[in-house]
Amino acid sequence: MPSYPEYDYVIIGSGPAGMAAAVTARQQGLSVLVLDEQPAVGGQIYRNLEALESDRPDEFRKLGAEYQTASELVRAFRQSGAEHLRGRSVWQIDPDLTIRHLGLVDSGTTVPSGCRAKRLLIAIGAMERPMPLPGWTLPGVMACTAADVLYKSSGLLPSGQVVLAGSGPLLLLIACRLLDAGVSIGAFLDTNPRGSLLKALPLLPDALKAAGYLTKGAGMLWKLYTSGIPVHSGVDGLEAVGDEQVKKVRFRKEGQWHEVETDLFLLHHGVVPNVQITRQLGCEHRWYEPQRYWEPVLDEWGNTTLDNVAVAGDCGRVCGAAVSELSGHLAALETARALGRLSPTGRDAAAAPFRTQLARQKAVRPFLDALFAPAQPWLVPENEDTVVCRCEEVRVRDLRTVVQHGVQGPDRVKSMIRCGMGPCQARMCGLTVSEVIADERQLSPEDVGYFRIRSPIKPVTLAQLAGLD
Amino acid sequence: MNQEQADVVIIGGGVIGASLGYGLTKRQARVIILDREDFRLTASRGNFGLVWVQSKGFGMPRYAQWSQEAAERWPAFSEQLESETGLALSYQQTGGFEMCLGEEEFAQREAFLEQMRQQSLTGTYPCTMMTREAMQERMPRIELGPRVSGGSFCAYDGIVNPLHLLKALHEGFAQQGGEFHPGHTVQTIRPTGRGFQIETETQRYEAAKLVFASGLATTQLAGLVGLQVPVAPQRGQVLVTERTERIFPFATGRIRQNADGSFMLGASHEDVGYDLATTNEVMQEIATHAIEVFPALKQLQLIRSWGALRVLTPDQKPVYVESEACPGAYAVTSHSGVSLASLHSTYLPEWILNGQTQPGFDAFHPRRFDVSPAA
Amino acid sequence: MFHQPRDPRSPSVPFTFEGQACEATAGQTVAAALMGAGHLTLRESIVSGSPRAAYCMMGVCFECLVEIDGHPNQQACMVLIREGMQIKRQSRPLGE
Repeated sequence: MPSYPEYDYVIIGSGPAGMAAAVTARQQGLSVLVLDEQPAVGGQIYRNLEALESDRPDEFRKLGAEYQTASELVRAFRQSGAEHLRGRSVWQIDPDLTIRHLGLVDSGTTVPSGCRAKRLLIAIGAMERPMPLPGWTLPGVMACTAADVLYKSSGLLPSGQVVLAGSGPLLLLIACRLLDAGVSIGAFLDTNPRGSLLKALPLLPDALKAAGYLTKGAGMLWKLYTSGIPVHSGVDGLEAVGDEQVKKVRFRKEGQWHEVETDLFLLHHGVVPNVQITRQLGCEHRWYEPQRYWEPVLDEWGNTTLDNVAVAGDCGRVCGAAVSELSGHLAALETARALGRLSPTGRDAAAAPFRTQLARQKAVRPFLDALFAPAQPWLVPENEDTVVCRCEEVRVRDLRTVVQHGVQGPDRVKSMIRCGMGPCQARMCGLTVSEVIADERQLSPEDVGYFRIRSPIKPVTLAQLAGLD
Repeated sequence: MNQEQADVVIIGGGVIGASLGYGLTKRQARVIILDREDFRLTASRGNFGLVWVQSKGFGMPRYAQWSQEAAERWPAFSEQLESETGLALSYQQTGGFEMCLGEEEFAQREAFLEQMRQQSLTGTYPCTMMTREAMQERMPRIELGPRVSGGSFCAYDGIVNPLHLLKALHEGFAQQGGEFHPGHTVQTIRPTGRGFQIETETQRYEAAKLVFASGLATTQLAGLVGLQVPVAPQRGQVLVTERTERIFPFATGRIRQNADGSFMLGASHEDVGYDLATTNEVMQEIATHAIEVFPALKQLQLIRSWGALRVLTPDQKPVYVESEACPGAYAVTSHSGVSLASLHSTYLPEWILNGQTQPGFDAFHPRRFDVSPAA
Repeated sequence: MFHQPRDPRSPSVPFTFEGQACEATAGQTVAAALMGAGHLTLRESIVSGSPRAAYCMMGVCFECLVEIDGHPNQQACMVLIREGMQIKRQSRPLGE
């Protein structure tokens, strides 16, 4: 039995939440280890921030004021004295908080290693909500943030024509970035149902507390509408068409199908918490109806229903970078209290300024969540040929059929038709499977439940499991 | 409270209860199966899907013979169930190996087979030792690890998809008029002179006969009618890999390749009560063993693991018993519910309906567990 | 499909894909390096053989699986390109 090093605080994820937690924890004198499977700090939102700042300063400046502030956070993280292992994939966490991880192939060794934690913080962020539609597995169809990642991390821009489809602030943001970079955009297909703004308006007054955010959004919309790109609203049907790769996109609005040619088809339908680790650990989760996803049950410090396991950032509830960072600070203060370094009053006092900012930053969320509520055609694909489980190519029709034969829950469905049993371990299909079963059974996904997630958190080879290289 | 009537009420809708129900309804009995639907504890959902003969029945030759007969009848049983329900079971009588690593294990296994042969009621035992070379010849597409010295082979061993089996049994049961009442936990049982009255939280049942096929709940429930059926949980952990091309056409007790190409690896035997967690230690051991037998498996990715609980009697062999205090109440328990499905759906219904037993049936009575203090 | 507004100062990183010599820029992930070199389709679905390429670029979708320096099943979007890396299309996991 190897002896693993022990830390007061192990943080998984080095985005804004993880970095903030590390900085505050170190200020409280805790020993901290940060693990991230990504090659660089910053999470998704601040991808490759350090390299951009030093190597591509012009582009870095274009990214805006938030990035400059984030850059300060990164510096503080680097100077905090927290240990940091990048390129490390966590594949199992035991009930006693022994954390097993292994290095990715470029990190020099892939032999599994591990550590022990007195307190664990899961800050692995969010992921794109899967947006299944016919043809979405074709090469050239990508999640829209993929284009952002390629640009920020690797300096690549699409060469040919791009079509963007979906709804949500991120889609807009990325469309504007591509526009700024001179990329040819063939169409912007907005799938937000008509009338969603009306539904969300009652929540606007509260949202104005974060007026800066809204102004920015309005500015992007303006840019898009005056760009000359064909913008279509109320799109309720989409198909990606091609043989070896996507060649065109078919879209339906007001009952009519149209076509547009494309080399790259970017999709976005909101962002959901990545619950893979909290689920594997057995934390309780609850259903968040406005955005139709499951989130871990947390208290106001991010504590989960498991002792000494907490969550910060978007993997708890999607609220964006600013809120993630604040929740990281709060989680670390609570950890300091739990480990006896801070009294409850000391903790609350230190937390006060963070809490004020948090309230302000969170104010815009109910409005945004209502405005960009997930739309039915993308939760439960109309076309029954649509692949739901990409790994195993299980289609909507297969799911409905097995449910009609009396198989009721996601795990039992999985054991019969293999959806969720491929390498992605249900990350891409989990939510859709629950939605389709719910639709077929005329229940809420909350009643249907979600797959039971088990170890390993990420696939490991049998050799790695056996402790060989 | 609502009252329902049946000829037989079966408490437990796992593979054993479903096999019994399928066989009883085929013999025109009116049957209701009750199930409390605790999916974590039901062994029928976590098992390895082996239809296995070798190694069974050491010290109880009747059980060794019973296992062999079950396997002999499995192909016809599978065909019939498939054609009646239209559901595929993915059953294959592939033949099975027990792998030996090193010379000592080979010698031990050989000695074991010899003991089984000597104990056998027929004087034979359908299992032979095979050298490494002979074994390798049988499986040209997958290389044996350097430490594999050979092993034992039994042509009757096979594999099935246990979830499809369970589903098909329920389907056949329903087609034959059986009723499945899930979500019921038995609260009280009362012998009535004509049979039994069974009460759950919401329903009352009256049946001439009562069968406990209740897995880990059997001890408690069967005790209500004076039956002593000791069972205890034993954990086994299972690993499932990604799919790959099909290269292993047999099965071992610990390694099998499913129809979809994924490998399923086991096994552990742990006394941990009702804990279903998987542990790194055991997962490591299972992976190490698999790689020792087939080094090519090294690079396969593990996708999922789980723990499940076997239902074990003190000698790990089946118990079939009718209550003497309350005749008409029966208990059926075995940790080989999949392997024995072919007999649980034929011989046992005949025993339950008209008292007809197979020769040597008494060997399965739980009085064998009574230890005389003087002995 | 993807191009790089190339910064002459960025060091170039030579690697091979399926034996062919390619060039990436330092700091790129393997997935980006391959896409930048014009290789979009990375593998075939084990179920139907349909062509698959990177989808999410953040380690969630497991579509961008390639073999790197003899290690199969690597998520190309998570690994940084290094000089001399030998990348191959995902072969059968058990090798042949």
